[in-house]
Amino acid sequence: MADNDTTATGSGVTRRQFVTGVGGAGVGLVLGGLLVKGFILPDHVVAIPASEGYLLVDRVKCATCASCMLACSVAHYGRANPSLSRIQVANDPFGLFPNDVAQNQCRQCPYPPCVDACPTGANHADPETGVRMIDPAKCIGCERCVHACPFTPSRVQWNFEDKHAQKCDLCKDTPYWDEEGGVGGKQICVQVCPHNAISFTKDIPVQTDAGYLVNLRRDDAWGSLGFPVSDDGMELSPQAAPAASGH
Amino acid sequence: MGDGYAPRILVVDLSTETIETLDTEEYKEWGGGVGMGAKLFWDLCEDKTVGSFDPGNVITLGGGAFSGTPVPSAARTAVTGIGPQGHPTEWFTTSNFGGRFSAMLKYAGWQMVAVKGKAEKPVWIDIRNDEVTIRDASESGDGLWGLDAHETQRVINKIHEADGTWRSYGESRDSGRTTQHPAIVTIGLAGENMTHIASLTHDGGAGAGQGGFGGVFGSKNLKAISVIGTGSIEVADAAELLSARLWAADNYGYQPDDLKAFPISITGMPFSGIPSSGTAFGTASRPEGCMNCHRSCHGVRNARGLGNGSHCYDTQIYQTPEMTATGKITIDTQGRLADLMQGYSINALMLDTVGYWLGQLHKKGLVGPGNVVDTDIFEKYTFGTYEWAAEMLARMAEKREIGALLAEGPARAAEKLGRLEEDVKSGDLPLQEWGWPHHYDGRTEAEWGLASLLSSRDSNAHDFNWICMWTVTLHTLYGAPMPVDAAQMAEIIGSKVAPYNDPMMINYSDDAIYSESMAKLVSWYVAYYHYYKNSMGLCDWAYADFVNPNTEDKAGLTGIAEPRYVKGVTGREEPLEDGIKRGTRIWNLHRAIFILQGRHRDQEVYGQYMYEVPSLPVPGYMLMSSPNVLPVYENGEWSYKMVAGRVVDAARLEEWKSLYFEFEGWDPATGWPKRDTLESMDMKFVADELEKAGKLGA
Repeated sequence: MADNDTTATGSGVTRRQFVTGVGGAGVGLVLGGLLVKGFILPDHVVAIPASEGYLLVDRVKCATCASCMLACSVAHYGRANPSLSRIQVANDPFGLFPNDVAQNQCRQCPYPPCVDACPTGANHADPETGVRMIDPAKCIGCERCVHACPFTPSRVQWNFEDKHAQKCDLCKDTPYWDEEGGVGGKQICVQVCPHNAISFTKDIPVQTDAGYLVNLRRDDAWGSLGFPVSDDGMELSPQAAPAASGH
Repeated sequence: MGDGYAPRILVVDLSTETIETLDTEEYKEWGGGVGMGAKLFWDLCEDKTVGSFDPGNVITLGGGAFSGTPVPSAARTAVTGIGPQGHPTEWFTTSNFGGRFSAMLKYAGWQMVAVKGKAEKPVWIDIRNDEVTIRDASESGDGLWGLDAHETQRVINKIHEADGTWRSYGESRDSGRTTQHPAIVTIGLAGENMTHIASLTHDGGAGAGQGGFGGVFGSKNLKAISVIGTGSIEVADAAELLSARLWAADNYGYQPDDLKAFPISITGMPFSGIPSSGTAFGTASRPEGCMNCHRSCHGVRNARGLGNGSHCYDTQIYQTPEMTATGKITIDTQGRLADLMQGYSINALMLDTVGYWLGQLHKKGLVGPGNVVDTDIFEKYTFGTYEWAAEMLARMAEKREIGALLAEGPARAAEKLGRLEEDVKSGDLPLQEWGWPHHYDGRTEAEWGLASLLSSRDSNAHDFNWICMWTVTLHTLYGAPMPVDAAQMAEIIGSKVAPYNDPMMINYSDDAIYSESMAKLVSWYVAYYHYYKNSMGLCDWAYADFVNPNTEDKAGLTGIAEPRYVKGVTGREEPLEDGIKRGTRIWNLHRAIFILQGRHRDQEVYGQYMYEVPSLPVPGYMLMSSPNVLPVYENGEWSYKMVAGRVVDAARLEEWKSLYFEFEGWDPATGWPKRDTLESMDMKFVADELEKAGKLGA
């Protein structure tokens, strides 16, 4: 599985990456995407520049604490508000593991319908990194990008306080965080997640409709703490040992 | 520029079904939580001598400036009001629970909520941002009354159509959207039936157990408070706050890819604590963190009914009986009981205490049909099995058979049986102070006991308990090398307890626990947990952090982190000693309320067993009884020493109380604060009120 230590793939995608990456989002996106401005890849696949970065979330490892959501809204706006977070962790307090929570991060679609839907270019691929992001100054509030996102809940949100659409920019523009963000920098959700359940990669991840297939539990202490390390999260690690506890 | 506070305080009068709004600005000096709660109670409760179930009682819920912000582990919701658990007086008291409630309340624009009066019929309060509705909870309305605490929340979630997708609140597209479920605090049967042992339940397993506030909800015909918020909390210095959060977690928190822990790992360790699934039961699970927690000590498993969301006491209270009866501890028993308790909304400590007490009386032949304790539960069920405990919980929640008596709490139950004095004296019914179940032991961990005795509940602040007692005791029991030696521990802690900075404060020797150093320790301890934890919102399971495995010198983040959080959230420069002053001020306000309720130093005595029965070195009447190996300074040297086996010296305790009251500026003859003391803390209004009641310290 792709992880932090992946290599850059340049400004485009290969045919294999394109087909693999878009597979989970469906053929409709491919067809629809032909309408937006694209460029010709070396192997003659038409596409817009691929994002050079993606967020991976291990849905089994996430502790549903919403630290990522609060940090996201504070880094971008100086205000704590789950509703203004670009990553949405939706937790059912009465759900059962591992289906009690959905971590909804922008997939930086290889062929992004949100970019396609924007009539003003506010929702665009960053020319330097390909990251799909929104220029609030150009946003006219039509919400077409919000509705165009093929995922539920939409990864593009209407910021009802500042009156513009918003989406994950991989922290390229975080005026309230003293760190360099974006593809070459850090992402606040990755940094703040206490369990390393969110990771950044430069490779287009293999994905399904349920999300990227991510297992970030093998290389650290997760198993020894008594938690499952198998991909589906249902098998306990043999080295799992119960920890003493107090009251 | 924001300061972390939500702008308004919500006051709901259920008698008149009216909503009132107060300006948070006028209460900010109290931090939030039990500070603001006490001041709201002071202002809104007209007669502070009423009983807990009287409509005049005022209950408050809410967090502090830190709640709902990136401050790590600051998700507690504090509850204040007159609680039915206290005996013989139902004192003003506090409780708290984790989860999402205090944060969500702030996102809705409300810093705190206060409820007074009593509704004519069952109701629930539905808060949707600034829209507050008192809704019918009866069968003819939303049908919540009679449901267990979990089912109640499921029904409210359905009313909100909460399914994890975006949904709007309000008419316009700019009125707010969220993917989150509402945060709901509610009661089950034990609360509805106005027992003295009922908790408040939130989400799967968060709950305010101690205090009995579930019964207060029931007495007000209040089934639940639900809140959903879509607004923002603006902080003063966002960059500093994020920097402080990352600095704290990276340098002092557990590192999943570079796990450093003391040789004997304790999941409950402070800031460096490791995630857990509530308790180690060997099932596929994830840790579950409260809102913005960096360590996650609850858990969610892959089966319903196994204690999802519950942890700590909730999943451990019946371990000793089960082990004794069956030779093993199972999730099937402990997890299912945790869910039952949360559903009924019963305080977890009650089953432990009642089980031990009845078990002791049963051995003496005093329990059975027609006997002193008239019940058939031991005939029909085997003590130690799931069935016995489940039946006992049901009987208490429904006030059925022996449950009707026990629902009044163990102290009142024993009093009615004429056994209170004898059973507390023998320790068969270990009620350490105010009729509350024995938690940690004042004979050994003196600051815990003394803070409990001088307040109205078990202090339930593990600041010194984790490191001085549990860490040292467990390493001793397992023969593992100590993380730090006793002299180092004294030096580290001494460096962090400003303004006293006295290493002798953690001297737990037989003599020192009656000394001025213990007065300093108690004073610092109550101020720290009243302000930083129970008012500003920090979690007891992460703070204070004195000794930490992740740092070279083993010094934790307390003393450095708290001022950074205050600066980032509120913009205020506030060194730790100033925070301690704020805590002392809150402590004095609580004290004044106790005094208006009738408190005098003569009442401040432990249950008699504390003076006569040596503390146990092994699990006995409470499962956490242990050798209690603690730091002592004797013969010019620091060492770790087992102090279990000692009793409280009554005369020396009384001398110590006088010393402590002088230390706090209270009248040693009565324990009442003096005018000078109160006015030096800008509390003339309190001094005037005490004087009017004839209860100002001389």
